[in-house]
Amino acid sequence: MFYRTAGQFKTTYQADHALFPVRQDAVLLGIVLILAFVVFPLTASEFAFRALLIPVLIYSLAALGLNVLTGYAGQLSLGTGAFMGVGAYACYKLISIFPEMNIVVALALSGFFSATVGVIFGLPSLRIKGFYLAIATLAAQFFLVWLFQKWAWLYNYNASGAIQVPNIDFFGITVAGPRAPAIVQYYFVLCIVCLLTFFIINITRGRIGRMWKAVRDMDIAAELVGINLMKTKLLAFFVSSYVVGIAGALFVFLWRGAAEANLFDIPLSFRVLFIAIIGGLGSVLGNFLGAILIVALPVVISSVPEAFGLPLSSATVEHLNIMIIGALIIAFLIVEPHGLARFWAVIREKLILWPFPH
Amino acid sequence: MKALFKTAILSSALALGVGLAGPVAAQDDSIYIPNLAYRTGPFASTGTPLMNGQRDYIMMLNERDGGLNGVKLQYDECETGYNTEKGMECYEKTKARAVVTQPWSTGITLQVLPKSNVDKIPILAAGYGFSPMSDGKVFQWAYNPPSSYWDGASMILQNISGGDLASLKGKKIAFLHLDHPFGKEPLPLLEAMAKKHGFTLVPIPVGLTEMQNQSAQWLQIRRERPDFVIMWGWGAMNAGAITEAVKTKYPMNQFVGVWWSGHDGDMKLVGDAGKGYRSISWSVPNSESGLMQDIKKYVVDAGKSQINQGEGEFDSVFYQRGLMISLMLVEGIKVAQDHFDVRAPNPEQLRWGLENIKLDEARLKELGADGMLVPFSTSCSNHTGHGGGWILEWDGAKFVKASDLLQPDRAEIEPLELEKAKEYADANAPWPVNEECKM
Repeated sequence: MFYRTAGQFKTTYQADHALFPVRQDAVLLGIVLILAFVVFPLTASEFAFRALLIPVLIYSLAALGLNVLTGYAGQLSLGTGAFMGVGAYACYKLISIFPEMNIVVALALSGFFSATVGVIFGLPSLRIKGFYLAIATLAAQFFLVWLFQKWAWLYNYNASGAIQVPNIDFFGITVAGPRAPAIVQYYFVLCIVCLLTFFIINITRGRIGRMWKAVRDMDIAAELVGINLMKTKLLAFFVSSYVVGIAGALFVFLWRGAAEANLFDIPLSFRVLFIAIIGGLGSVLGNFLGAILIVALPVVISSVPEAFGLPLSSATVEHLNIMIIGALIIAFLIVEPHGLARFWAVIREKLILWPFPH
Repeated sequence: MKALFKTAILSSALALGVGLAGPVAAQDDSIYIPNLAYRTGPFASTGTPLMNGQRDYIMMLNERDGGLNGVKLQYDECETGYNTEKGMECYEKTKARAVVTQPWSTGITLQVLPKSNVDKIPILAAGYGFSPMSDGKVFQWAYNPPSSYWDGASMILQNISGGDLASLKGKKIAFLHLDHPFGKEPLPLLEAMAKKHGFTLVPIPVGLTEMQNQSAQWLQIRRERPDFVIMWGWGAMNAGAITEAVKTKYPMNQFVGVWWSGHDGDMKLVGDAGKGYRSISWSVPNSESGLMQDIKKYVVDAGKSQINQGEGEFDSVFYQRGLMISLMLVEGIKVAQDHFDVRAPNPEQLRWGLENIKLDEARLKELGADGMLVPFSTSCSNHTGHGGGWILEWDGAKFVKASDLLQPDRAEIEPLELEKAKEYADANAPWPVNEECKM
C-alpha cells in the first residue's frame, strides 16, 4: 500500500540503472534529508547536537570508509582508529603551519595523508588475506599510535601530549574550536558527510565498485577476467583511508576539540568495525544504522531513568547500559546476521508486498 | 519479525523524544552540583572513595544544616568511566543547570578548559588538571586548589633531597607515570629542575593497557638503578606499580608518589612489605575531627553513605580527601552567597566566590576540619592557592603524616606557569584575559 511498486515501469536502461529504481525510496531519502537538514536543527538542544547528532554522523563516515575496504573489497582491517588519527594529526599540523588555510581544504588534504599511509600498510594485502591481513593492519594500529605519542612535533611539543583545536573561521563563521556554535558544526559535518556518501555510493555502483566486489568474492576469478589485483586492492585502501582520515579530522576538529594519542587506540578501531558489521558489510545505509545503534543508543538509554525519575545511580545506569547494548548487538545479529541494512531490506520487501503477502 | 519492527519504531521514537528534549529548568531553591564521576572502568578503585567523600559531605550538610544557608545542595553524578568522550557527553548534559564543572580527569579538563570562556561555568579541578591554570588572569574560569601538580613535584623533590635540591646533583630519578595527559603533566617542571640541579631524569611511561602488568617498566628500573622513583599513577596503575616494586625488592623508602598514588586500598595489597612508601598529600585523614563525627552521625550511621565500612574506607585518605574537595567547593559557594546576597549563586557569581576562598586554619577549625586540609586562599591571579602539602608514609597498616607542612618552590614554578599559560592563550586566540585583576 505504502510501498507499492506497481505501475512504475522502466522503459530505458537508464531508468533501470537509476539510483532509486523505486520511487518510494527516493521519497524516503528526501524525508530523511529534510529531517536532517531542517527538522533536527530546529528542534535539537545543544546536548542533542554534541552527544547524538554530530558523533553519529562522524562515526557513520568512519564506518563508511571502513566498509569500502572490508565490505566492498573484502580486505579485513583493524587499523581504522590509527588511520583516523593520521587524518586528525595531519589536519592539525596543516592548520598550525598554515593558519590561513581554509578548513575544507585542510580536511581534504589531510585525507590524502591518511590515504598514503593506508596504501603503505595495504601493501601486505597483495600477499596475505583474511585474518593474516587483519594482523598486518593491527601492526599499523600499534605503530601509528606509538608514533603519535613519541613524535612530539606532531602535537607541537604540547606538555600534555594532546592536540587542541584553535578557533577556525570558515568565511567569517567559526566552525571549529571552543567558540563554534553546535548548530554550525552540525551543518558543516552534515554537508561533508552527505558529499562523501554521495561520492562513495557512486564509486561503489560503477566500474571500480564492481572490480572491488569481484575481488572480494573470489580474487583468482577476478584476476582471470583481467582485473589487476594490485591496483584494485590498493585503490580500495586509498579510498577507504581517505574517507577514514577525513572522518578522523572531523572527529577531533568538529566534535572533540582536543585529543590525545590514546584516543586512536584499538578500542576506536573496534568501535568503527562494530558499527560496520552490525550495520551491514557492503552497504552504505548500514553504516548510519549501525552508528545510531552503537553511538546514539547508549546516550539515550543513559538518560531514560532520569527522564522517568527512576532513582538509579549513574554507575548502575552505566552497567545496565553496557549490558543492554551487548544484548541488543547479539539479538540483532541472531535475527539478521547480515546486519541492520539487511534487516531494513527485509522489512522493505515485506512492505512492498503488504497487505497482500501472496 | 513484525513485533521486532514495532519495537524498533517505538524505541527510535523514544530515542528522539528523550534525546531532543531540552534539560529541565533551574530552580531557585536548590543549587545543582554535578560531578563527572567514575565508579566504573579501570580507575574505579581509586575513583569510588573520592566520589563517596564528595557525595557524603554534601549529604551531611543537607541533613545537618538543611543545606547551605537554607538552600538545598543538589549533588548529582554523571558516570564517565574516566573516558574523555563520555566526559564531554556528561558536560553537555549537565551544563545547562550546573554552577560548576568537576571534570575529574586531566584529559576531560583539557577538553572543557577552552569551553569555559564561552559557556561561563567555573571548572573546579581540585589538585589535578593543567598546572598553569593557577594563572587566574588567563584561566579566569578554572580552579585547581589547593596545590597543582607542579607544586607537588617540587615538594617531592624537596622532600627526597632533604630540603636542599643541590644535593640531588648526579643522582638518578626515575619518573614512572601514566602515559596520559595526567601523567605527563609534571614533566616540563621536572625536566627544568633536572637541568638546573644536575640530576638525571628517566621518564618511564606506563601505557593504559599495561597498567596491570608493569614488568617491562620495573625491569628498566632495575637496570637503571635510580636513586629515587617518583610515581604519577592512577587507578589500577598504582596497585600494579606497588606490587611490582615489592616483587623486585625496590627499596620502599626511595619510592614516592603524588597524592593520587597514596591510596590505602593499593597499599593494603602488600601490607607490611610496603612500609616506608611515601606520598605527598594536601589532605590528611583525621577520623576524630568534628567534621568526621558529623559525617558519621548524619550520613554513615544513618545508612545513607555508599562507603564500604568493612574495608575501613571511612578512615582512608581518599574518602576524606573527597570530603575536603566538596568542602572547598561549598566554601566557594558560601563566599558567593554572602558577597552577592543571593540564595543560589549563578556560575558567574560562583566564579567570584572560588576566587575569594579563604580557608585559613581558623576557618578550617570552625568547619571541624582541623588539620585535615592545607590552609590556603585564592585570588584573581592565583587560582590554586598553593597551600603546599604533607608527606604521608605507609606504616604497614595506614598512612601517617611524616613531615611538617611543605611549601613548593614558587620562585621556580611561577615563571614556567606564566609562560605556559601565555602559550595556551596564544594557541587558542581569541582568548579573553582578565584585565581587571591587578595583583
